[in-house]
Amino acid sequence: MEPTPRTSSQPAAWAPLFVIVLSAVSCSSPKEAAKAPPPAGPVGTPIEIPVPLGLPPVAAPANNKPTVETVALGKKLYYDTKLSADDTVSCASCHGPAHGFTDGSPVSTGVGGKQGGRSAPTVLNAAYSPVQFWDGRAASLEEQAGGPIANPIEMNLPHEAAVRKLNADGEYPKLFEKAFGPGPATIEKVQMAIASFERTVISGNSPFDRYQFGGDKKALSPAAARGLAIFKDAAKGNCVKCHTIDDKYALFSDGKFHNLGVGMNAEGELADLGRYTQTKVEADKGAFRTPTLRNIAQTAPYMHDGSAKTLRRVVDFYVGGGNSNPQLDKDIKKLELSGREREDLVAFLESLTGEIPKEVLSQ
Amino acid sequence: MKRLPFVFVTLVFSGCNSAPKPEKAKVPVSTTAPKVEYFHVDAATAGAVHGRVSFAGKKPVRKKIDVSEDPMCAKMHAAGLYDESVVVNPNGTLANVFVYVKQGLEGKTFEPSKEPVVIDQKGCRFAPRVFGIQTGQPLNVVNSDPVTHNIHPLAQVNRAWNQSQDPQTEPLKRRFLQREVMIRVKCNIHSWMRAWIGAVEHPYFAVSAQPDGSFELPNLPPGDYTIEAWHEVYGVQEQKITVKPSGKEDVSFTFKGE
Ligand code: HEC
Ligand code: HEC
Repeated sequence: MEPTPRTSSQPAAWAPLFVIVLSAVSCSSPKEAAKAPPPAGPVGTPIEIPVPLGLPPVAAPANNKPTVETVALGKKLYYDTKLSADDTVSCASCHGPAHGFTDGSPVSTGVGGKQGGRSAPTVLNAAYSPVQFWDGRAASLEEQAGGPIANPIEMNLPHEAAVRKLNADGEYPKLFEKAFGPGPATIEKVQMAIASFERTVISGNSPFDRYQFGGDKKALSPAAARGLAIFKDAAKGNCVKCHTIDDKYALFSDGKFHNLGVGMNAEGELADLGRYTQTKVEADKGAFRTPTLRNIAQTAPYMHDGSAKTLRRVVDFYVGGGNSNPQLDKDIKKLELSGREREDLVAFLESLTGEIPKEVLSQ
Repeated sequence: MKRLPFVFVTLVFSGCNSAPKPEKAKVPVSTTAPKVEYFHVDAATAGAVHGRVSFAGKKPVRKKIDVSEDPMCAKMHAAGLYDESVVVNPNGTLANVFVYVKQGLEGKTFEPSKEPVVIDQKGCRFAPRVFGIQTGQPLNVVNSDPVTHNIHPLAQVNRAWNQSQDPQTEPLKRRFLQREVMIRVKCNIHSWMRAWIGAVEHPYFAVSAQPDGSFELPNLPPGDYTIEAWHEVYGVQEQKITVKPSGKEDVSFTFKGE
């Protein structure tokens, strides 16, 4: 933890986000708002989230600055199957530490074995995404956290029922009071606590970070170092075009939506329209948010539909120029890479496995 | 911006053929198309063209292919993979020559066969290397390999496309809607892989066989025809021929090596 609390830890670029966050939180449940005033916010001991090498400071909305108590409560909720209809599924079931905070499956399985159509993305570094989900349909981690609880194919527990369950629990009421002051648990508090916990689920200080930002030129193997050069070279991999590396940190995502042609069916049609489902803009058909590549070696299978089993297959997919379709991103084209260069890229991707703070793992 | 991928394709790959033809509007395989009268061949008078493609000259030495792009492919060809652009049969005939009726069937519309033509990606090669397909006939693309392929028909009259295909995935199902002889096919991941597809709007096409160089165009209505033979290295030749009622006409071609 940093000793001096910062007064303005957010870069100005995040400012517009807060407006969205605020409105999203206050609009999300007008019924609830009518019954009880919206929570004033966390009351406990504020914390500054320690940032490992290679990552920028973690931004949080003004009304939900992380505290010791909200993070602890959020962690308990995140790992607790009580948030599901039949006490079988927790957030960690689909975003668990054993698979780099994913579920290791092409598509996820929720309560009663129900399956969705998309692969669970990692929660690692989700704190840095300007929007959540493959199609960007949630504006914040707070908004996102409400989704899976009530989703019939995920945890299938309506919000009122979830809150009732927590308020009747032996432990939760006092944890909510510690975190948010007097008053019962509400779905907003649940969402805020989970979001605060997720802001601590970050991964940096990987061999790549030590090489790139820590001046340790031995941190990467020669193959991985060559792979990094290919990753950055506009005439070779050009991966940084979307999986960004900045001067002082690397998020490996531009937070934008791109069509690679992933998820094309046998007839050559896009099976999932992705961003288009939110915007209805023709150019967004088949576009998905650029995912982070942190801890990518642990999160197979890959892509929004879990269609690529290995990193080599992902690299081959890019070498082939993706799948042609009218909305294919202009930066996706056939790559001229030798066999060794393809292997180097894989070696580089494998160097992105970072340190995850041990406090975020289940006890 | 939406057009960009296709423009790119055209610019880069128009190299060996004639100047790129203007892009045709996309023809949807729609059900609203006007009803067509299909031509039916009268079995009582139908004839046939058959023959053989000979090879004259020195049999070229087959070059060894560099397969280092993919260690899995290299493993499948421990003894080396050799270029197959010229396949001379032991009896001196030439295989992989695409023979088809170029002219003489104008005004007749043939129902596309519903039987899919299959192209397999096997041993990091396309199999078959040269084949014909009727316009509108289904093409199934199979991947029997343990590696990812990305088939890319560099069509200039038809729409060009490319699609990645992982091992053990269902066949891709496509069609070509316009005559195009030939469509060069590449794999975007394995630079040595080649195939050639002849798309014609009738069923009168064949490929000279391995191992005897023979071909046959059966069930042909009587008439005057131009028969074209195409080889990927040695170019095209054509012959005019008259098929008499129930006639079996012999047409042979000879391609010369260097
Ligand atoms: C049944 C499996 C399942 C469960 C349970 C589940 N998720 Fe997810 N999660 C998914 C899938 C699948 C997606 C992607 C959906 C999409 O993009 O449309 C996702 C997306 C997310 C994202 C967005 C990440 C990104 O990069 O866009 C976050 C954050 C997240 N989940 C957190 C949670 C939390 C918190 C919980 C518990 C309250 C939870 N999930 C429960 C499967 C699950
Ligand atoms: C035009 C933007 C763009 C470029 C360039 C790009 N990517 Fe991606 N990448 C994406 C998007 C978008 C996805 C998710 C696509 C989907 O699932 O539909 C993705 C997915 C991935 C994944 C899978 C991540 C996961 O969690 O499933 C990997 C690995 C990856 N990219 C690596 C690379 C490499 C290596 C390169 C360079 C050769 C590269 N990318 C170039 C945008 C890009």
